[in-house]
Amino acid sequence: MTGLTIALPKGALYGKSVVRLRAAGIAAPEDPGRRLFFDTNDGTRLLFLRPTDVPAYVEFGAADCGIVGKDVLWETDRSVCELADLEFGPCRLVVAAHRASRYHEGAPLPTFLRVATKFTQTAEAYFAERDLSVQLIKLHGSVELSPLVGLADLIVDLTETGTTLREHDLTILDTIGKSTARLVVNPVRFRAKYESIVALLARLNGGISPPFESMVR
Amino acid sequence: MRVPVGVRDWLPDELARKRALETILRGVFERWKYQEVQTPGLERYEVLEAGIGQNLSKQVFRLTDRSGSQLVLRPEMTMPIARLVSTRMREATLPLRLSYVQPVYRYEEPQEGRMREFTEAGLELIGTADADTDAESLFSAVEALDAVGLRMVRYDINHVAIIEGVLTGFGYAGDALHDVKRLIADRNLVDLRALANAHADAAHGEMLVRLTMSRGQEEILRAVRPLVVTEAGYAGIDRLADLLARARARGLQERIWIDFSLLRSLAYYTGIVFEGYVEELGFSLLGGGRYDTVLPRFGFNAGAVGWSTSVERLLIALERRTVCGELQFA
Repeated sequence: MTGLTIALPKGALYGKSVVRLRAAGIAAPEDPGRRLFFDTNDGTRLLFLRPTDVPAYVEFGAADCGIVGKDVLWETDRSVCELADLEFGPCRLVVAAHRASRYHEGAPLPTFLRVATKFTQTAEAYFAERDLSVQLIKLHGSVELSPLVGLADLIVDLTETGTTLREHDLTILDTIGKSTARLVVNPVRFRAKYESIVALLARLNGGISPPFESMVR
Repeated sequence: MRVPVGVRDWLPDELARKRALETILRGVFERWKYQEVQTPGLERYEVLEAGIGQNLSKQVFRLTDRSGSQLVLRPEMTMPIARLVSTRMREATLPLRLSYVQPVYRYEEPQEGRMREFTEAGLELIGTADADTDAESLFSAVEALDAVGLRMVRYDINHVAIIEGVLTGFGYAGDALHDVKRLIADRNLVDLRALANAHADAAHGEMLVRLTMSRGQEEILRAVRPLVVTEAGYAGIDRLADLLARARARGLQERIWIDFSLLRSLAYYTGIVFEGYVEELGFSLLGGGRYDTVLPRFGFNAGAVGWSTSVERLLIALERRTVCGELQFA
């Protein structure tokens, strides 16, 4: 009986999330299908969301906690507590260019480049840190296409193995960050539902952690 | 014609409810012998900067008048009151007990319980530094929310010197100390563990994570003592134990909990801090604490403790309680 509402990301992280939840004793459905939410027998409510919507549900308290990729957290200012690195769904956010372009790994980049990405906030911070003014082009999919057709000079995009990038003759110039799935929680709910959340965290980590008091003496 | 983002009108029946709630709060403030003050909605930017540095600047509505002076729409009430006390009330007999119920303005993404204009109500107790006044501040807050009908609110309390006393023992100082405190306050356990492992070793990292997750009463105060190495940290433990004992004596043991990661604004609080919340809402209802270094920055050598709540948030909490009982889907 957790009594928790947990926001789950549909898509790439869903399958692994289900495996972890089931190992923790929460009977999540293999496929959410057309359902928007699902109540398990032990009193847990699961919400099935677009990955980018998970932080908003958790910040507003519509969900107590959620599973979401670190890449989504980079792009949001939502204040949620990052309780655990669940270590599945690894991927990297990289800067890439066409193999035939003038841009290469380790070489300094010129200013005023056109950069296509879904990750505009992270990209902006990355280039600002390097004092490079760039023109960001926000795309919602098929970012790899943009350098091939002359829309952009560079892309900033996620890659798991690099295969898709290679297939499109793109080469990685730099890695901005590494992402894995995280357990996030609403700051107030962490306190209001403390026992349930601490128990969930322990079960997701595959064991009961000793309380702080028992570590000290 | 629409109103700007994040602000609202109050129609007669809505305003009647808001006024009724404010009347109850003012009644409690009077019972505790606090005198109400008003300050202008516009303040000079320096006033804010003097009190809290650049921290709030992203959330502040700034404007420039025709002579080029930098002004702000006040984002909170403690700095205006610090200015008032350190200038026009300099000669007043201490301690001073001041209350306010006034709109404040913050440039934030609006959402439930977070508007760009909201009514802040609170108390400031100025010119004292003793444990009695910590208790007065917390219990006046509890009484105010009880009086409006929010008897289920729970309060987390902490003393900010405790975590600093532990971190000093682990060798943190300067920027590293600030960074690790930020991660603890945000309860970002992933980055906290990584930072602690890089700084010291995995055992320290695990201890900090456990400390950040901990929550309890006397037992966790006893447990933290061997980890603290500073005099201020020991004093903080004693002060918190004293407050907890007083809460128990008032029959509040089911409603008051210690959370060592509750630090609130890092640049601001120097002693006891507290926050009130209910299970139904994802945001806190009330917050406060001791800020002994703020008034000295205004050239007025006095400690102070205070708290504030948002009238709009209290209305939301009351509505949730009475209308829904439980969140409903479709």
